[in-house]
Amino acid sequence: MSDQIDFLLDSLPHLLFGFPGQRPGGLVMSVLLAVAGLGVGLAVAVVVAAAQDARSRSLRRLADSYVHLFRGIPLILLVLIIHQLVASGPILGLNNTPLRSAVIALVLYSSAYQADIIRTGLRSVPVGMVEWARVIGGSRWQVYRLVKLPYSLRVMQPALSGQGITLFKDTSVVVIIGVAELTTTARIVLGSDVGNTPFWVATYLTVGLLYFVVAFAVSRLALRGERRYQAGNLVRSLAIPTAKTGSRL
Amino acid sequence: MRESLTPETVSLLLAGLTLTIALTVVTSITSFVVGIGVGTLRLSANRLIRSAAGTFVEVFRNIPALIQIIFWAFAFPSLFPADTRMFLFFDNSVMTWLTTATGLSLPYYALAACFGLTLNTGAHMAELFRAGVGTLPRERIETARLLGAGTLALFWWVLLPGGVRAAFPAITTRLIHNMKNTALASFVAVPEFFQTVQASITQSFRAVEFLTIAAVVYLLLSTVMAGLLRRVDIRLNRGRMHVRPD
Repeated sequence: MSDQIDFLLDSLPHLLFGFPGQRPGGLVMSVLLAVAGLGVGLAVAVVVAAAQDARSRSLRRLADSYVHLFRGIPLILLVLIIHQLVASGPILGLNNTPLRSAVIALVLYSSAYQADIIRTGLRSVPVGMVEWARVIGGSRWQVYRLVKLPYSLRVMQPALSGQGITLFKDTSVVVIIGVAELTTTARIVLGSDVGNTPFWVATYLTVGLLYFVVAFAVSRLALRGERRYQAGNLVRSLAIPTAKTGSRL
Repeated sequence: MRESLTPETVSLLLAGLTLTIALTVVTSITSFVVGIGVGTLRLSANRLIRSAAGTFVEVFRNIPALIQIIFWAFAFPSLFPADTRMFLFFDNSVMTWLTTATGLSLPYYALAACFGLTLNTGAHMAELFRAGVGTLPRERIETARLLGAGTLALFWWVLLPGGVRAAFPAITTRLIHNMKNTALASFVAVPEFFQTVQASITQSFRAVEFLTIAAVVYLLLSTVMAGLLRRVDIRLNRGRMHVRPD
């Protein structure tokens, strides 16, 4: 039992922060990957969602295929494909770094899901509100940026945070190209040493616990944020963006 | 450069595809059952049962499927001393029978992958089913009670059909996600489709071709699954006035 505890105490810093002298790894890297995927993914998704509702039919088709493609294949396969393209460089001509491949794959994957969430959110904006904004002289882009997006963000928030938690857990599959996040670190810590077999259960329970703690904490925080929106006066919470748009349009 | 699509490679890929479909069908059914079961327990009047089911959902939803699969396949057997481990997980009549029945050399790993996927997807489904039941009009449940329905009758005739019907679009998305997650079983030496793709790449060094084939096949599987489940959804809602927006 005590050697179990010793092993865990020795490996816990690696599982949390990676190995000294290298770039941050372990849980920190998992969180960073998820944040990068979500942040960049959101920006891409806003564009894709706009294209999905565009007037041009070919643009709509293109955006729909984008979502369909990246939602339809397993992330682990997408990671491998992107890594292959980046590594052999026929398309992107970038250097062979697993980290870069991982981020690109996570952005593509996440943005497809986020685009669907955003599109659904945008459709929940009352038509009257949009028409009103158009009548008082807002351009399409202004109405999108100042009315539709801020209004629908509230509606989307639960789905977006759910997607964030899912992406955080999904970062574990980048182990296939050896980015030193939590899952990869666990494999490195255990190594191929048969003498480490007794530590497998304890190590993977710890890894599971670390993922759980972050995912659960974020989901609780998101729930609290949601409740605050709901508990607050709906009109008041809506009045802030509308008042702003009113003065700026 | 060797030929990429030799007859051997094709039959290897087809065997992998068959296993992927088998894993998908098995885990879809088991996780559906687990989801309904745990989701129902979450509605229990008993607080202890309710919170136990809630803990199950939170634990198995918030740990990545890959970690769960690795745990059951590789870590869990190491809890047992070497001889016992050999007997329990690899060298017994059940495993031998599974080997002859499925053609897998190490059927335990496939079982472990199924178990991990079932717990993960089951936990998600439990939450979806509970949310589905939550959307049912209260009067419907009260009416059933007034008509003298017991707990079992209420579950069987009201909560189960109503909850599944309401949650079905979300269940569809989750089941497709589960199909994609079967690719994670490649990590624990299960020769499903993604693993056979990787094996073919190692043999032929033709990564781009095989990765493209893999992407097309998974896209097809997602599309076919979405179509089939859509038909189930329509059937579930047959003869109902209310039409669900897409």
